[in-house]
Amino acid sequence: MAGILGIYLFDNRWNAYNFGVFGLMALQHRGQETAGLELFGEGRNKVSGKGLVEQVLTSGNMKGHVCVGAVSPYPAEDAEIQPISLSDRVSVAMDGKILKIDGYRWSGSTSYEENLRRAFSEQVKKSVDLDGLKSFFSGCRGGFSYVAVNENMDMIAGRGSLGVKPLVLGKMGFDGGIVASESCVMDIIGERVPISPAENIEPGEVRVFTTLSAHSELGVTSKRRAYCSFEYVYLARPDSYINDVPVYRVRRSIGKKLVEEGAVDADVVIGVPETAIPFAMAFSNETGIPVEKGFELTGRRVRSAMKPNQLERLKGVQLKLNVISEAVKGKRVLLIDDSVVRGNTLANIVYLMKEKGAKEIHVRIGSPHIVSHCPFGVEVPPEDELIGKHLPEDKIAEVVGADSFKYLSIDGLIESVGMSRKNLCLGCFNGHYPEV
Amino acid sequence: MKILLVGGGGREHAIAAALARSGREPRLYCLSELANPGIKKIVKRSGGEYYLGNTNDSEAVVLAAQKAGVDFVFVGPEEPNFHGVPDRLEEQGIPCIGANRAVSELEMSKASMRDLQWKYKIPGRLWYKKFKTFEEAVPYIEEYADSVALKPARQAGGKGVKVIEDFQVYLQEDKRKVKKEHAESIVREYMKGYDDIDYKLLIEERVWGPEYTVHCFTDGKTVIPMPAVQDNKHAFDGDLGLETGGMGSISCGMNLRWGVEDGRAILTDEEYRKSVEIVRMMIDSIQKETGKRYHGVVAGQMMLTSVWGPTVIEMYSRLGDPEAGNVLSVLKADIVEICEAIIDERLNAVRVDFEDKAVVVKAVCPEGYPNRRDMASGHPVRLKWNGDGILWASADLRDGRVFCGGSRVVECLGVGESIPEASARAERLTERVSLEDGWKLFHRRDIGSEKSMERRIALANMAREIYQYRERRGLLGKRMIWIPGKGLVEVG
Repeated sequence: MAGILGIYLFDNRWNAYNFGVFGLMALQHRGQETAGLELFGEGRNKVSGKGLVEQVLTSGNMKGHVCVGAVSPYPAEDAEIQPISLSDRVSVAMDGKILKIDGYRWSGSTSYEENLRRAFSEQVKKSVDLDGLKSFFSGCRGGFSYVAVNENMDMIAGRGSLGVKPLVLGKMGFDGGIVASESCVMDIIGERVPISPAENIEPGEVRVFTTLSAHSELGVTSKRRAYCSFEYVYLARPDSYINDVPVYRVRRSIGKKLVEEGAVDADVVIGVPETAIPFAMAFSNETGIPVEKGFELTGRRVRSAMKPNQLERLKGVQLKLNVISEAVKGKRVLLIDDSVVRGNTLANIVYLMKEKGAKEIHVRIGSPHIVSHCPFGVEVPPEDELIGKHLPEDKIAEVVGADSFKYLSIDGLIESVGMSRKNLCLGCFNGHYPEV
Repeated sequence: MKILLVGGGGREHAIAAALARSGREPRLYCLSELANPGIKKIVKRSGGEYYLGNTNDSEAVVLAAQKAGVDFVFVGPEEPNFHGVPDRLEEQGIPCIGANRAVSELEMSKASMRDLQWKYKIPGRLWYKKFKTFEEAVPYIEEYADSVALKPARQAGGKGVKVIEDFQVYLQEDKRKVKKEHAESIVREYMKGYDDIDYKLLIEERVWGPEYTVHCFTDGKTVIPMPAVQDNKHAFDGDLGLETGGMGSISCGMNLRWGVEDGRAILTDEEYRKSVEIVRMMIDSIQKETGKRYHGVVAGQMMLTSVWGPTVIEMYSRLGDPEAGNVLSVLKADIVEICEAIIDERLNAVRVDFEDKAVVVKAVCPEGYPNRRDMASGHPVRLKWNGDGILWASADLRDGRVFCGGSRVVECLGVGESIPEASARAERLTERVSLEDGWKLFHRRDIGSEKSMERRIALANMAREIYQYRERRGLLGKRMIWIPGKGLVEVG
């Protein structure tokens, strides 16, 4: 996955740079390995590199009224830093993965990005500029969202027809439009309209911005929807709307569902920060078991699960999650986490909590067991690393050292999101992915 | 009965159609800059004549009126009012429906309008500051870190207004820079050529809420309100993009209801009533101030804000465009009789009713509008429709062909039992318009859609909740600021 952003300001007196920086900061949770921003104005200038937005985007003198940017969780060694060049004239930021391109034979011997470039160069032989861009993306299949800008300063943004990855449109008064992965960006840099800050861009829809127009075109449509369910569990910010559904509402419903599916007598409910805290609050509200702050953070807030290697992840967990002993000492703890991938970090948390005197620890997970590697770019490790694919719940309880352990059921997740099963991609949890 | 209509846009086409419906069967004449094909047809059918000329030139208007020997003149646009066309006509003994130079100050000078509103303590007044030079404004912009609307102090064809929301301190530097640059271009560019006013720049507090226009007929004594209309100023779908003269407008009943038989509405009856009262107070105050009578149409461009409830954004000294299509198509009374009553100042004796219908008008524009009129003009237009519902706007009939004038070319009007239904009708009409040379046209699909209605009503509810809280506490229109070290400052 990634966090992508495009800003189109009609009046060239505006400089989009700071809007880009703060917009990407609002998407930082979607990727903390690399960041990049390219501005288009009188010329083009781009800054990108390894690290957080505030570490990479430090140049004060970049100018342009149109920009495209991204944050990404892929280490720079594994993937080109976004936004990437599609050609000399086009820059693109993408969330998710394009798996096929109509009329193009994918080459296994070269990189993903190089394949996109080759396919694009074949396309621009047929049509150029804005039309070329539109035709290129309409031929792409997979689970992806994109924002692309060319040297004419035409900006186009859209979602693949399955709608796997989110994308929303926001406004800046009479001055421009903003396209971003999540609606929280509009709260941070957009116009403060008191009702819904952003409009959902529909799967297959293409948003076009030129000097003459800012409109929506219907691209490739498909009846099949495959909205990524993991967005609601973990990926998105709780203050965002994904596909017009408020993420926080889903997280609260998940907390309630966990009570329904795995209630247990306990003295205190604790959520693992940050994602699982709304689950824990809802669990507490539903059962009357008090919710407590169980952890204190040292250093910067990082998304430990998205770190590329085990050492980094554990480092993240240990620094992020120092257990507050007064909250757990002598108590039966109902501990809620959002997901379990390998189980090591969870084992670490349980250990730290026991060390601080917790009497019993019952672990509840706000998502079903992860069994499959995502073809659309959600960072799930190879399947032989996934504890949920190989061990049953009672075994996992023993491995992590908990008194009980229970996942949310797939049906429980579907009900919490509140969409019909056929509109969701549940591949991480059941291995079934939509045909692209 | 002979009438001269001044102006040749969509608004004037709507006025011409209304005049032509009169039982008095008037012979219509028109003076405008471009040959509007719709008005021309009506004029011809009535046995009148179409003159091309400068509508701001009083002498040209007087000459046309005299040549035709008309009973009265109906002035459509605002600029002839600002140029004293109604005054000159009256001097020549030709009655006129149109605000005279003095009272049209309500619209022409946004600065005087606010002065008046504060002087007479008329509700719905916003904070503002007026400046004669850019230099005067600079320290104010630098100090006053807040969301503002920057406006040319004079009505400048609806252009030059910029609303800058300055709430996020981390973006303040960028916003101040643009505030300053835009203030400068208002003074040096947008106000260039307007020497009929001292002040150049107006800075107002920025407010939010649903906007609406309340038009009234007045003879200076009686005020007859028309249905509230909501215009849509953004160029593109979803309220995105540049400010335009208006991309389309909706109305239903007097208070912007969802449908004729639907309880949902953007305004409450009380809010509508208060808005009319504000317009009435504005008319009274400008008459008192100038000692002149107001004969014609006046409109409050209002917003339902959290600060005041009904709030004045600007005033019009004429019918709005495209709002004219909304109100005139449901007018049940004979407009010629209304005009005569205005002229004789006996409007109180005329019964004016409006049909309870939903009306949606959608403007169709050539690509390039609003900022690149050079690219938007000159394209030949094809219309495949002979029925009702088409208002020609910025269109020029030359040798039997119609060409784009550069602004909104056609307004498509749909009537129905609900706004979404009327919107769908207007939408179908837009498909009948195209350009022969293949240049693209655009319009807003979302105007009057269910989704857009839901959003507007939600926005109104939000503003209502806050202003009603203020009202309950006696805080309507009051602003309190705690300045550390200085104390509590109250304004309002």
